[in-house]
Amino acid sequence: MTTTEPSMTHIERRAKRLLLLMAALVAGFVLYVMVARGVFESTQQLVLISDDSEGVIVGMDLTFSGFPIGRVRRIELAPDGMARMVIDVPHKQAHWLRSSSIFTLERGMVGDTRIRAYSGILSDPPLPPDSERTLLRGDTSAEVPRLVASARALLENLEAMTGTESPLNASLGQLKTTTERMNGRYGVLTGVMGSDNNAKQIIQTLERTNSLLAKTEQRMFGSGGLADTTQATLSSGKAALDQLHNVLSDTRNTLKNVDAVLAEAQAVGVNARIASTDLGALRAEVEASLRRLSQLTDEINRKWPFARDTEIKLP
Amino acid sequence: MQPQTTAHAPDNPWLEAPLRHVRSWWHMLHVGSVVLVLALSPGSYTKAFRQRTAQHIYTSTWQVMPWFTALTALLSLVLIRIVVVTALSYGLSQYALQMVVRVLVLELIPLSAALFVALRAGLAFNAGAMGMATQPAAAQKTLDLNHLRDHLTPRVLADAFAVLALAMLSSVVILVLAYLTVYGLSPWGLPGFTRTVGQVFDLPVSLGFILKTLFFSLAVAVVPMAASLEAAQHRITDTIQPGAVRLFLVLFLLEATSLVVKYV
Repeated sequence: MTTTEPSMTHIERRAKRLLLLMAALVAGFVLYVMVARGVFESTQQLVLISDDSEGVIVGMDLTFSGFPIGRVRRIELAPDGMARMVIDVPHKQAHWLRSSSIFTLERGMVGDTRIRAYSGILSDPPLPPDSERTLLRGDTSAEVPRLVASARALLENLEAMTGTESPLNASLGQLKTTTERMNGRYGVLTGVMGSDNNAKQIIQTLERTNSLLAKTEQRMFGSGGLADTTQATLSSGKAALDQLHNVLSDTRNTLKNVDAVLAEAQAVGVNARIASTDLGALRAEVEASLRRLSQLTDEINRKWPFARDTEIKLP
Repeated sequence: MQPQTTAHAPDNPWLEAPLRHVRSWWHMLHVGSVVLVLALSPGSYTKAFRQRTAQHIYTSTWQVMPWFTALTALLSLVLIRIVVVTALSYGLSQYALQMVVRVLVLELIPLSAALFVALRAGLAFNAGAMGMATQPAAAQKTLDLNHLRDHLTPRVLADAFAVLALAMLSSVVILVLAYLTVYGLSPWGLPGFTRTVGQVFDLPVSLGFILKTLFFSLAVAVVPMAASLEAAQHRITDTIQPGAVRLFLVLFLLEATSLVVKYV
């Protein structure tokens, strides 16, 4: 050891200082990591339930407005097949979670999965400890296959629509033909009817209809037309109706006379009925006289010389 | 107790090389375990032992700590700046800090500290082996426990401590540099930074970091010493440092195992 070297005591002191420094460093680092892991925080438990926990790892943050307010402690599979994510929320951060809070699991195209909490109404009651909430999933990557399938179907449809033999192309061709026809002599009518001949026939028909209407008007409303004749007929019909009215009045009077005759006949009938009643009594008296006459005749017959033997002798 | 290191010349020359390697590895494990037992025995800690250990700690740690820390801080600052700027340009700044902590603190710093101490320890053991070579050949065939306890165990302890101390101090310095690079002098980034560090250092990663650094320190302390002893016993005169290849192999295996356990 040269004279420039420190003494043994000095070396030992420095070695001890070094040991102490290292012990302090190790202890401090361990304490710092424990604080960073939230070992000394008092927490409450929150259970988030989802049908898929892919991308969720133990230690992942639960964020609220971008700030971490909780940490995934455990992920387990429930008996019903749902994933249960047990999250530790420090008590000092728990006031951000309300009973109306919703929780989402977001998976982006790039980056890790995120669990976010949204509390719309901060005046709602606080979320009680050991609450269970459903985790809503917003999965961008899961949407991609569906999006690609939809886009493929859309492109196939578009291709089918724009093909040479496609109905849309044929329709456009027909539309072109129609518009060309519309630009012809007879305009839209050619387009609607299909050809100039048909349009011409339509126009001829219209002309003939016009002339027919003119003739009809003449026939109907002209001098000595159908309207005048009808009016005259109606006038004569009115006179006939007046006469018919008179006839009906006479008929009514006649019927009144018939009613009087019937009343007379009815009175005659009543008298006849009374006469019939007296006739019955007369008949009874006649029958009684005849009976007495018969009895008288019998008496005479039994008297002499008209008596005779009435005995019947058997051979 | 005088454990024997037996060396039988095999009849078959094809088996000579593998057997030599097996014997060499066994010798390393044997010496390492003996030194570990001696280091853990309270009886070893005599005043002279403590003085020698303090002397070695002073030379292996205290003397190199400032400029090793400065060097790693400088290199780390460059790497941190590159990672942060690249992450910002890709819109992934939220992952920059995690990447810095994972790459530098967990992987590069323990490895660089181990390699640095290994280089110095190998040079020192070369000098020690030369000293042993002056002993009689009969004495070199056995492990002298007194020599192990009085001279080699303090050096092994000091080297192991050097790896741990340099790695620990550099890690702390790099964490501070990473914070300053990302957030500047503002104290408002501390909760987010602490949370990120907490996310990186979960229980398996923390245990892996501690175990890896511990095994690095043991490998750096034991392998060159055992190789130097073996070289002195067999009077091997090689141009390269004894045990250098084996040490790199052990460090590589430890690093690979750590990566496999962490990320596979």
